[in-house]
Order: sequence, then structure tokens, then C-alpha cells
Amino acid sequence: MMGGPENGQRIGVVLGRREATPLEFWVGVEGEGLLRLDDLVVVEGYHPKVGRVRYFGMVDHVAKAHEGESYDTDTFLAVEGKIPVSLAYVAHVSVTRILPEEFFPPDPGSAVYLAQGEDLELALYYEAMKNQRGSTKLPAGFLKNGEVAYLNLEFLNGVKGGHVNISGISGVAAKTSYATFLLKSLLESGVLEDAHQARVLLFNVKGEDLLFLDKPNLRLSPEAKRDYEKLGLDPGPFRSVTFLAPPKKGGEGILPHVETRLEGVKAYYWDLVQFAQKGLLPFLFADRGGMSNLGYLIVHVTEKLRRLAEGQKGPHLLVSDWPGAELPEEITFDDLGRVRLKSFAQLVQYLEYKLLGSETGEGKGDETWVARQARGTLEAFVRRLRSSVENVGHLIRGDRPGNPPDPLSGSHQVHVVDLAKLSPQAQMFVVGSLLSDLFAKKERGQYRGRVFVVLDELNKYAPRDEESPIKDVLLDIAERGRSLGVILIGAQQTASEVERRVVGNAAIRVVGRLDAAEAERPEYRYLPTSFRQRALILPQGMVILHQPEIPVPLLVRFPFPAWATKREEVLEDNSAEALRREFF
Amino acid sequence: MAWRLYSLEPLRTEALAGLGEGPPHLQDSGGSYPFHPLEEPWEAKGAPPVPWPEPLYFVDGRERAEALISDGRRLVLLGCVAAGAVAFAEGGMRLLEPRVRRVGVGLWEPLGLGELVYEPLPLEGGGEPLSPMALQEGLAKARALLEEDLAKGLEGGLLIVDGPVRLRRQGPVLGYIKTHWARYLPEDKEALIPTLRPGERTPMFRVRRGGQELASWYLRLPLPPEGVRPPESGLLRVETPLSPEAKGLADLSLSLFPALASHPVKDPRAPQNLLPVGSLERELSRRMGSRDLVGRILARYLGGG
Repeated sequence: MMGGPENGQRIGVVLGRREATPLEFWVGVEGEGLLRLDDLVVVEGYHPKVGRVRYFGMVDHVAKAHEGESYDTDTFLAVEGKIPVSLAYVAHVSVTRILPEEFFPPDPGSAVYLAQGEDLELALYYEAMKNQRGSTKLPAGFLKNGEVAYLNLEFLNGVKGGHVNISGISGVAAKTSYATFLLKSLLESGVLEDAHQARVLLFNVKGEDLLFLDKPNLRLSPEAKRDYEKLGLDPGPFRSVTFLAPPKKGGEGILPHVETRLEGVKAYYWDLVQFAQKGLLPFLFADRGGMSNLGYLIVHVTEKLRRLAEGQKGPHLLVSDWPGAELPEEITFDDLGRVRLKSFAQLVQYLEYKLLGSETGEGKGDETWVARQARGTLEAFVRRLRSSVENVGHLIRGDRPGNPPDPLSGSHQVHVVDLAKLSPQAQMFVVGSLLSDLFAKKERGQYRGRVFVVLDELNKYAPRDEESPIKDVLLDIAERGRSLGVILIGAQQTASEVERRVVGNAAIRVVGRLDAAEAERPEYRYLPTSFRQRALILPQGMVILHQPEIPVPLLVRFPFPAWATKREEVLEDNSAEALRREFF
Repeated sequence: MAWRLYSLEPLRTEALAGLGEGPPHLQDSGGSYPFHPLEEPWEAKGAPPVPWPEPLYFVDGRERAEALISDGRRLVLLGCVAAGAVAFAEGGMRLLEPRVRRVGVGLWEPLGLGELVYEPLPLEGGGEPLSPMALQEGLAKARALLEEDLAKGLEGGLLIVDGPVRLRRQGPVLGYIKTHWARYLPEDKEALIPTLRPGERTPMFRVRRGGQELASWYLRLPLPPEGVRPPESGLLRVETPLSPEAKGLADLSLSLFPALASHPVKDPRAPQNLLPVGSLERELSRRMGSRDLVGRILARYLGGG
């Protein structure tokens, strides 16, 4: 038997003073009834030619008013007990579903019930979230009534749609918290069937928030634990995480540049041969737009470097066409008469020599390198390269074999890559290099499992009005990634500043607290007015979740992180076992 | 011949019969009684504020002529009467379920028109054709009966009725008269009235009507802005059956009526049209249904089209 309104609690009637339509209607709340924003209701309609029709809907406006009183000050009289008033409690319902699909209006006066149990599932299309192999209901938080909110995994894992986009003010919107919660659900709920094969690349852009994903949270309350259990998740930290941070600048050895997490973080960097072989040079040029000559030169030099590095093992780059007379002081020949480039700065010097000729003479650059570009273009190229030495010199090195992050290899499932202490140029370089490498590997079919990439500050990497190589990679991921199994969980403060195609390709959209001006922009028009208004006052831990199948967004509460988000939250494991691991 | 619509605009006949409030003789029939003061000396009286007794009932009714119909021989007035009460208790005013009836003044048997059913209300005079004025009076009487009927069902407390006190009741009752057609005071005593300040009253005096003895007094309601209108415009005459409690009720009335006086910005009949009664009247006319809708139903069934 289908769940009927008889299961739910009667809450009021469809109003006749205002139009009732198949898509929206007003409800008058009866007696002691309680109807709130986001409550789900069901109404039954009947027409002899069609039979029984059920309207499922969500409350998106509620109001109380003194009826029939024409003056605002009449309320004072009512409070003083001088006039009787009639209190009207009304709610506006947006219909989410009609079963069967017969679009005639409900009758005013029809009873309205709270949708519970099966009715709730029907109202939110939960019963349709399945495929041949079973349910695709991915826990995404809690609805207002305390029931679990689901999103259809098939719109996240690339089957019917992919990518998530999260907007919200930084600090209060909890973009990263929600993204990590979604990851937790993806990896551990068991809904994603090949979850053990999935890999996650998480960029840490601010502070060291994500560097404690593998530590239990000291502040996790018993209620929050129950929340996780209700969602079918383990109330604990991520199990398989590796942390990578850029090396500290200067100094002898290579130490990861981290402040609060001292153990278990590895430094990442590229060696010069990797830099040349993988063609990473373009990612040092974020402002390619509008300079086609420079763009051409970048492609050309990248290719030259690639050829130069062919067959070399590194970490240093050997060059044989740098005559001794032209060498800067600190660089020397090796025994085979080749010059050994041992740092990024030296590579830049080499390129300068190749493009502009010797520093002392009036000489011209190497014809095969300059690609007939005007001297101005060559100088612009060299200027930019020189200024990047300070930013990426510690990330691209020739003194030891490179250790770039590779989320597709190793035994860990989640790879956290810290960007927070890098300059903007270096951040661009790391993000661009990693994503293009990852995408290329997936394109070649080198890894079968799905890869989830979490990247905040999309407005920086894929700005709406500028061109850059990183934006190209992100566009590639946004447009072709879902068929290749690369899913972008992107976030930004303002979706209006991000390339439309990147946001537009996200099937799942999430909105945390928004700025008032931002909420009015066209990027958020998919939200009904009441949700846009509420986006301004959303508390922490609440987001608005929009998914393609459900015509209304859901206001969702997600649990407090079960993993630490800073040093102070780490629940220290002082058991003998843990101490032994630490000391031996 | 069947009943046919004669006019949907019996308003003109209402105008014949007087104001919407009903004909004057129903409103207040004074007469030339010998003046008999119940309090001495004859001077303005105030009283310290006292809490309102609970429950406190306000009863009022409404009538609406909806159509004149005719069978070719005589006229029948179809109308609607409603009566309702507002109760003050526990610091708040609350509407009690009002009663609404549709009556056909001059009808001998019920007339059903779709969802409207007009109950017969035969008038004296048998089959004689009745004047529109008499029909209008009949409707007013139907309204008064409905009000009385409703008031009888109200237990305990203090009952306040719009108009003279007619019904007999166990508990105390106050009637208030808003328009003053009759003179109750000799000229020298009347001189006190313009000197009354808002919230003051005249001493009580005796009124005899239809074998009933009543105590009555005038009181001044506040009518902001003060001093613009003649003092008589805020005047209310209040009466109650003559009894030992009359003095207490007269003092209570000073705590009651001025507090409930309506404001001229909100109500053209301010200040005498009391606040709860104004709300009650709006509710009653709402319960009587839309005038236009009723007109359309009548035209459909009786319009002959």
C-alpha cells in the first residue's frame, strides 16, 4: 500500500482566498498546528476523471497576521484586550511532486498533512535514488525534522552528473567542513560501491585546518556521535590520509613547512627533470591572457625543455650547450663537459642565456630557442621567470630527487596538499601541475578508481574574466572530468566571480552563509527567494543543498567534524600502543 | 405566480426607514417622563479606575436587506440578520460563535435558493401587501430577536448591549445609547452635559419604559483631538435596570466605556462605536457573506433570465 496522508499528522487546509495551483498553494494552519519553513506536506486531490492525485510540497514561506484589521495599531488594542482579533497562520507550499502527474489544482479546503515516512521519501524523490545494484542515497546531512537528507550519488559520481560547487562567506559558511563531511560520507557510507578505490586530493588553502583529518576531535560531543551513527558513518577521523607540505625555504635539509602539525607530514617538491619532462613551465605563467606571443614562446620553451630532459634521471638537469666562457661563477662543468643545473635559479639563468645571449656581450640568443620572437617578448618572458625564482625556487629543485604529490599512487586514500604558506604564484603552480598531471593520467587510463579533488578559492584558479593554464585544466575537469572519473568539489566565496562553465557543470550546488549583495546575483537564481534570504542568516553547520532531481533546495544540517580541525582539537592517544609507535 | 426578483437594491427602502442603525423608535424612545435624579448633588462625577469584571460580554447584531421579491401581489424583503458576542476574559477579547440567519420578511414558507435558505417571517397584517418600511422594520425586529436570543445564552458576568436594555437577565446588564433622539433632562440640568470632561458622568436619573424602571446617566468619551468638536459629540447615555447595584455599575462604566472608545481616525462613528463592537460588526458582516455573491445567486434563481 502506498503511504497516504493518513500516515501523517493533519496540519491545516488548502486556502481558497489565494489561488491554489498544481505547482504552489497556500495552507491555513489549524489550531495548535505547527508548520515551519522546509516542512514537507502532502495534500490529496480528487477529480472524477483522473482519480486520486497527491501533491507533495515544501513550505517556503510562513506568516501570521491579524485578519481583517486594517490598522497596524489595532494590534495594540488587541494586546490590551480591547478588540478581538483573528489570528491567521498561513504557509506557502511549493509543490515538489505530483503523483500521478496530473496537473490540476487541489481543492481549497482540502486537508493538508505533514509528509512523514513514505510520503517524505516520495516528496524528496528518495525512492527514485537507486540503480540496478541498489540504493544511491548518499547521506548529506539532516533535514529540519531530524531525518537524514540524501543526495543522489549518481549526480555526484559522474554517472548522471558530477561535481559539487560550494559557495559561502569564508569563516562562517563552513565550505571546507561541508566538503570534508561529504568526503567522509562518500568514502565510508558504503553507497559509493568502489569507495576503497577512490582517491581524494584535498588542497589546504588556509591555516592548517585540514592537516588533522586523521586525528579524532576532542570536542566531538555524544550528540554529534549519534548524528554520525544515524547517518551510518563512523564518528571518527579519516583512516587513510597522507599529508604533504611545501619545504621550508633555505636551510640545509628539506623540512616540511608546517607549524602546528609536526609529525607525519612530508615535504613535496619537483626536481628539474620532472619539471621539464612533465612540461610544468606554463603553470608559472598565470597571466597568459592577451599575450599571444608570450603564450607561443611558453609553449615552445616548454617543448625545448622536455626534449632536453629526455632520458635524464635527475634530479639535476644536464646541459651541454652552455660554453664555459659564458658561465656564471658558481656553475661548473662536470667531468663529461656538461653543465649540471642544480637549482631553479640556475635553470632560469640557463634559459636567459639561451634566449637573450650572454649577459656581458651584445650576443643574441640561440636561434632554436627564441622561435623568432621579438626581443621584447623574450625579455618579458625572462623577467617573469626571474621574479618567480623567489616564489617557487624551493618547490622546483635540482639538489635531490623530486617528491611531487601523486594522489594516484601510494597506499593512502586521501592526499592533503598544503598550499597555505605558498605565494599566489606558487599556489597556482602546484594546483595547475597536480591537476594537469592527474587529469592526464586519468585520460590515459592509468588509474581506475574515481578521484575527488577538493579545491577552495576557485575564483582564483578559474576566474571568470581571465585566461590561465590552470583555468584550462579546471575547465577540462569540469567539462570532461565526470566521464573520466575526476570529480571536482570546488568552493569559493562568490560564485559570481568564477568561470560560468565551472560552476555550471556542477550537478550538486551547496550554499552556506552568503553576503547580501552576492545572494542577489544571477548565479543563485536557482534558489527560491526564501532560500536566498535565509542564506544571509545561515548559522554555522547549515547549508542549502540543491540537486538536479529535487526541484526545491534542502536546508541541511551536517554534523560537527569528527576529525580535528586544529591542534587544540586533537584527541591525544596516550595508550601504550600509541606511545610505542611514536618512540620506536 | 412564483417569486420573482423585484429589486436588488432595497437600500433605497432602507433610506426610507431611517439610518442603518434602525428606526429611531427602536433606538431610543424617551418620552416626557418627570425628571427624577437618583444621586445628589447634580454635578459631574468621576470614579477611581476599577478592574473590569469577568466575563464581560458585548452583544451586537447586524441586519442587511438583500432583495425585494414579489409574486405580483405583494412584496417580500429577503434579508440577513446576524448577532454575535465578544467576551472579555483573562485579559483578552475573544469572539464567540456568531449566529447568522436569512429571513424573508412577509414569507409564509421557507424559500430555498441554491445554498441560501430564507426562513419565513410572517408579519402581522396577514396577506395584506406590506410597505417597504414595514418590511424593513420586520427585519430589524428579527435582528433584535436574534440578539436577545443570543444574550440569553450568556451566563454570568456583565452584559453590555448596544441600545436600550430590553431583555431581562439574571446578572447585571448595561445598555448604551449612541444617538440621542430623546430628551431626558430638563434644561437647567442639561447645562451640566457640556461641562463634562472625558471620563466623567452625570449623576444617575430614573427612566421608566414599558413597565421597567431603569437608572441612566450620560458620560463623556474621549474624542481626540480634544476641544475641536462640541462636547456633545462624545456623549453616551448608559442605562441599567434600577437596583442597588446601579451606583456601582455607573462608576464602573467610567472605567469601561472611555477605555473602549474608538478613535475618529479609524472609525467614522467614533467615539461611541466601541472598539470590540466595531470588530464584532466587521466579523458579522463577513459571516453574512459577500453582498455581491448573494446578489448573483438571487439573480440566477429569481431573475427570470
